[in-house]
Amino acid sequence: MSIVLEAKKLRKEYQDKLALKGLDLQIRSGEIFCLLGQNGAGKSTTINLFLGFIKPTSGAAYINGLEVASHTTKVKEYLAYIPENVMLYPNLSGLENLALFSSLAGFSYTQDELVQYLVGAGLPAEAVRRRVGGYSKGMRQKVGIAIAVAKQANVLLLDEPTSGLDPKASNEFSELLLRLSEAGTAIFMATHDIFRSKEVGTRVGIMREGELVDVLAASDLDANELEKLYLNYMHV
Amino acid sequence: MIRKFWILIKYEWINFRADKGLLILTLFTLLAGLYGIYYGTTEIDRQRRNIAALDSITEHNIEEMKAKYPGEADAGDIGYYHSTFAVNHPDTWASLSMGQRDVNPYYIKLRLLNLQSQLYDTENINPLKVLSGNFDLAFVFVYLFPLLIIGLCFNILSVEKEQGTLPLLLSQPLGLPLIVGAKLGFRVMIVLALALLLSIIAMGWGRVVPDVRIGMWLGTVVLYCLFWFGVAFLVAALHKGSAFNAITLLGVWLLLTIVIPALLNVYVAVTQPVPQALELTIRQREVVHGGWDKPKRETMEAFFARYPQWTDTTEIKGRFAWRWYYAFHQLGDMAVEDLAREYQEGLRARHQLVERLNVLSVPVNVQGVFNALAGSDLPSYLDFLQSATRHHDSLREFYYPFLFKQIPFRHADYQNEPRHSFTSSPDLDTAYGGMYKLLVSVLVVYVAGLVLFRLLPAMVK
Repeated sequence: MSIVLEAKKLRKEYQDKLALKGLDLQIRSGEIFCLLGQNGAGKSTTINLFLGFIKPTSGAAYINGLEVASHTTKVKEYLAYIPENVMLYPNLSGLENLALFSSLAGFSYTQDELVQYLVGAGLPAEAVRRRVGGYSKGMRQKVGIAIAVAKQANVLLLDEPTSGLDPKASNEFSELLLRLSEAGTAIFMATHDIFRSKEVGTRVGIMREGELVDVLAASDLDANELEKLYLNYMHV
Repeated sequence: MIRKFWILIKYEWINFRADKGLLILTLFTLLAGLYGIYYGTTEIDRQRRNIAALDSITEHNIEEMKAKYPGEADAGDIGYYHSTFAVNHPDTWASLSMGQRDVNPYYIKLRLLNLQSQLYDTENINPLKVLSGNFDLAFVFVYLFPLLIIGLCFNILSVEKEQGTLPLLLSQPLGLPLIVGAKLGFRVMIVLALALLLSIIAMGWGRVVPDVRIGMWLGTVVLYCLFWFGVAFLVAALHKGSAFNAITLLGVWLLLTIVIPALLNVYVAVTQPVPQALELTIRQREVVHGGWDKPKRETMEAFFARYPQWTDTTEIKGRFAWRWYYAFHQLGDMAVEDLAREYQEGLRARHQLVERLNVLSVPVNVQGVFNALAGSDLPSYLDFLQSATRHHDSLREFYYPFLFKQIPFRHADYQNEPRHSFTSSPDLDTAYGGMYKLLVSVLVVYVAGLVLFRLLPAMVK
């Protein structure tokens, strides 16, 4: 399995805060890496560095061997991203939003294919052509998932992706991640959800105050042990 | 890259169609533009009709004179009672930019009497018209189009951050410059389409003479719109919120269209004082009225010093003679010659000072370009006054032989009386100069915007 996502001594420092302290990480194709940590631990900073939204203070992030900071546009051909709160163009329908983002990613899907992606992500068929302005957070999240899946990227960056989804939809999302992983997609998911991490993750990382303090194989321990370990780290 | 640009343009169009606020704003500007064309065309047509009616008024006056003086008449009586008109025909472009045509007289009723008071008799203007100003197409472009551009662009980038779509958008293989470029490009297309549509309608409606000014007008409109897009881009490059952008852009609009022009007006009035036309008229009236009490010989000697060709005419005897009357009227004009020259030169100097200072306010510069193209600016009006003065001189040359040689004035002589015609002409040099300054302004805002855009990092979230 090739390394598709890599951080080398990745460090991000703001004026008043050290957000990430020299992260070293490698994620291979087909792997689901779940990053646990409290708010402000550095999870989103890590994702933003991989997305090229912010520049590292030192070190580098790589996607498919390309340094993100110097190939900001090119690396986005290989990745898809689902933020914690998917925000879409409210005047466009779910279908139009998906058509916009997938065409920007270089795909020319038919209307039927776009509808299939949306319905496949759990969006009710009757909502597909409604303006997104009337969607619930969960519905927007499903459109976000459809956008990510339709991009057929080999790297998936997820920042609290199940936020706003009901348990059934969250479960369907987990199944989707496993299918994508089997197809070779490398998945990096920042989350607070210990149990979902254990359920879908290949490896689970624990981040505290900008530092990756532990990385575990998800198969090595059960959910309760993972929770205990995580809480121990958080109370140190 | 090009393909993504057009994808973004397509979805900007879909978004635009769905945004009722933007549609109403654009429709309002379109209607304001159409009203501006209607106003300008109607007003200039009214002026043309009034000017056309002056010929029949003159003919009617001649018929009255013929009825009053059925046989041979003293030219002094004719010169006193008969009036003619100096007319300033509008250029065909005047309906697009009326400039000073509604505040300055476009025709002057002239008799053989002293000239200066007749020139400025009609200078008093209706303050209510000045208050409301011209609502012509130039006004719509200069003052309202920037507001449309501000309305379309104040949140060009900030809205993506505020509605949270920027992270998802930037997770696609495209950079922020392409996004900003496409959003700006779409708005440029909308605004320029509207501006060009209105310009073409106005040119057709106003039946303008097709010449180089078509290109100059359209070029000025395009550059002026691009200037305001550049200002919006410059403010967007600061990466602030929509509220900040809107207030800043409206502040810039207020500064450039209201505050700086008002300050320029005060500065020009203080640094370039011009004698009042009223002062000139009073001074001349004093001399003319004083003429009644002066010895006739003294008056005529002063007159003959200027017009030696009439010195051999018969000596004036008795209490009244028309040639003596017109002589002291002309002496009244001669007494204020310097003041009159100073007045007109002062107005020209003021205009030239404004031409130099308008680099401080792009709207003032562009209004000047429009007026220069339409032949409706101050220099054009001053040219008309000079033309009217020459016409009055020709009236004197026509009547003086009758007066001084005491030739009877016959009905057939009316047709030899000089007629006046003057058509405002464009000042292309001024217009080219203004366009050059406008081009520099456009380059300055875009370079500043690009520098800021590169220097200040965008916060994606």
